[in-house]
Amino acid sequence: MGCKCSTTKDILFFQGGFLVTHDVIIIGGGIAGMRSAIECAKAGLNTAIVSKVYPVRSHSVAAQGGINAALKSTDSWSAHMADTVKGSDFLADQDATEVLCKEAAFDITELEKMGAIWSRDENGNVAQRPFGGAGYPRTCYLADRTGHGIVHVLYEQIIKHGVFIYDEWHVVKLAVLDNAARGIIAVELKTGRLHRLRSKAIILATGGYGRVFKTTTNALTSTGDGMALALSAGANLMDMEFVQFHPTVLPRTGILITEGARGEGGYLLNSKGERFMEKYAPKAKELASRDVVSRAEQAEISEGRGVDGCVLLDVRHLGAEKINQRLSQIRELSINFAGIDPVEKPIPVRPGAHYSMGGVMAGIDGQTNITGLYAAGESACISVHGANRLGGNSLLEAVVFGRRAGQATEAFVKSTTLGDFPDGFLSEASFELAGILKREPSEPAYIIRNEMTVAMEEHAGLFRNKTGLEKGLEKIKELKERFKKAGLTDKADGFNSELLAFLELGNMLDVSETILLGALARNESRGAHSRTDFPQRDDVNWLRHTLIRNQSGELHLDYKNVVITKIKPAERKY
Amino acid sequence: MKIKLKIKRSAPLNESEPFFQAFSIDAYEGMTVLEALLKIADEDDPTLSFRKSCRSAICGSCAMTINGHARLACNTQILPEIHKFGEVILEPLSNHAVLKDLMVDLAPFWEKMERVMPYLTPPDAENTAKMTSEDEAKIDKSQQCIMCGSCNSECNALEIDEHYAGPAALAKAWRFIGDTREGFAEKRLDKLSTEHGMWDCVRCGHCTQYCPKNVAPLKAIELLRSRAIKLGITDNHGAKHALSMTNSIKRVGRLDEAAMTFKTLGFLRSLGMIPFGIKMELHGKMPLPLILPQIDGMDEVKAIFKTFEEKDKNKEDSGGKS
Repeated sequence: MGCKCSTTKDILFFQGGFLVTHDVIIIGGGIAGMRSAIECAKAGLNTAIVSKVYPVRSHSVAAQGGINAALKSTDSWSAHMADTVKGSDFLADQDATEVLCKEAAFDITELEKMGAIWSRDENGNVAQRPFGGAGYPRTCYLADRTGHGIVHVLYEQIIKHGVFIYDEWHVVKLAVLDNAARGIIAVELKTGRLHRLRSKAIILATGGYGRVFKTTTNALTSTGDGMALALSAGANLMDMEFVQFHPTVLPRTGILITEGARGEGGYLLNSKGERFMEKYAPKAKELASRDVVSRAEQAEISEGRGVDGCVLLDVRHLGAEKINQRLSQIRELSINFAGIDPVEKPIPVRPGAHYSMGGVMAGIDGQTNITGLYAAGESACISVHGANRLGGNSLLEAVVFGRRAGQATEAFVKSTTLGDFPDGFLSEASFELAGILKREPSEPAYIIRNEMTVAMEEHAGLFRNKTGLEKGLEKIKELKERFKKAGLTDKADGFNSELLAFLELGNMLDVSETILLGALARNESRGAHSRTDFPQRDDVNWLRHTLIRNQSGELHLDYKNVVITKIKPAERKY
Repeated sequence: MKIKLKIKRSAPLNESEPFFQAFSIDAYEGMTVLEALLKIADEDDPTLSFRKSCRSAICGSCAMTINGHARLACNTQILPEIHKFGEVILEPLSNHAVLKDLMVDLAPFWEKMERVMPYLTPPDAENTAKMTSEDEAKIDKSQQCIMCGSCNSECNALEIDEHYAGPAALAKAWRFIGDTREGFAEKRLDKLSTEHGMWDCVRCGHCTQYCPKNVAPLKAIELLRSRAIKLGITDNHGAKHALSMTNSIKRVGRLDEAAMTFKTLGFLRSLGMIPFGIKMELHGKMPLPLILPQIDGMDEVKAIFKTFEEKDKNKEDSGGKS
């Protein structure tokens, strides 16, 4: 029954540079990672998940509002696709978006078959709520803890299918030789030892990088590890300048208040008590796309109509019963983290970094430009979200493209022989790690981290301009230099949390640089990328994806055309 | 406000004796224990180890013992603790081996989960059965578990028997057994009725009291037990004990404690309890082995039983609602 082995304890005999071989190694145990693992394990592949946290701790668990799918006869996948493409400010690849929207209903049913439960309407059908930027109420949900529901169902399935779990292991290197994935080097946090895990294929599913910003909804673990690993291994990153700022985030803590609060009918108010969204998006109002709502909020705050740097999210008129039933977690979070009961008072909210539209460039089957390396979920950029993601599409992307990456991997693994895993990878990684542990630090890493988050918020936030972005880039380069001399106080091997934080910071600095580079080059405003010095969208020059590649230590920019099949770019109005 | 945070420090593999270390921090309104720990790890002592991730009470990473009881560091605020207890003392979860500082070994926790086969096994592989909102409500509470380990840390039965399944895994078991689509509920209950299973719970209620997500594991355990008895899975000490208790009350309106030993363990095994019985007698704790007279007001007792039996007929398990 169950897992052959799920604890690091059982594999201690592999210590000391021993080589373990799996068919496929999945980095990250969130929704995309587990969904792909299930597909691989079901097909009989020897499948392992490597994650710095136990799978149910992954940040997918915090997703609240829901997952989109056209289920009703009055809705259609093409309407879902049209909304998604419009939401993306026409930067999404339409072949990929078509796959996403067409297969959504199938995957909702698949989840239900695995055991998922959904909130239901009075007729017993899966209930759907309205969400931002959508012309139809098509967001399925489980109260306001949809991510939690899906994560735990997928966890159940990976246990059922015997997926091997390396939990609390942090990947330090993707072993890529002759442009083909050979496996990974990871540090087992319990002992501090480095291990080689060899495989025919790797699926990256490491989530986002919200932690590069000061105010973020993301978990402390969302540090862009997979993107940084892929970049240094020679993979292309795509559209990194597109960072979604969620409109309703609690001040100080950055804790998310779901879009479902507005989907259920909540209002956004300024200090004068006006529903200011009527001005910015006369039709959709509070349910315009996230980039539009966030910018409107910031404008209200900047023009002096904020309340202590926030606007107010008012759900009182929904009544205590509906709030308890549909938004119970939101109520708890507001009470615990903002000291406000939304039944009695409006919640102060502001925009905060939430989601990365960009990521490792991947095709509709998760394939990257490195043979045997696949990517799915937030860490990938297949481009279904383009310049701005619609709420409810990220869980969907993780599920649909997680499954597809798993299926593609199965086919790949079955037609491939295992490549070598040269010793050089391990010695190189050991040398690097030993260097970090040995050197006398010139300063503690957290100072660099704090300066980075402040700089990114200031220069690569909701509104950007050339001067700011240049300053930001200069700052990150300075921090990268200082990082080389920074080090650790904790010299222990095992449970060295400081070492993990240090490695994560290295990844975040790399990711920050790509965000700034992409943003500085893109002389237009599109979706979440808003340049005050180039306020218009420019389809003539910029209807294309940004690619960033690491060539022997130097980052190079390149561009790729957007796939347009059905929907012609038009002006975006809500 | 300057406050002191006392943290129990343990070296990996118990290389040295654990000790308490005090850290002084500036606590502000709303500051959580997790925020304080992050600040200490940054500025005072980077060697401090603790788990953390979502910092919004949904990932289950940061459960630890805060002022004596298991709680999440991320949703426990410092100042109310100071006002209530005068200090904040942080220790690792109980009932788990300490790995380092505030980190415990959760491998046994996950193994317990795996042992209850934590996945739906519908009778037909296609699983086309649909659920209603009412069906879902029955398992909704169990389903909200974040696997933080707080309940297992506070569990009295787990403290004396590390092999006991524990409240977290049992709540998970109910999530499937209570699911109308599950095809092997009876088999599962059979397995849970063996030693270290659901009948080992002593019903102290700590799991429900300290669960940060209102999962109410004790309620799930009660639902498992009553479902097992209804299905006739009664050939075990736990079910026999429960049944003889019910019978005794139904018969005489009170517990016939002496007779319960025989009914729970059977005659031969009860003989083995004789030395224990002698000890009890010496301490004046032996219940009278005589036939007990009925209590006054048996009519009321009978009425209560009748009400419950009718209620039972009218509806199956009341579901996860407590």
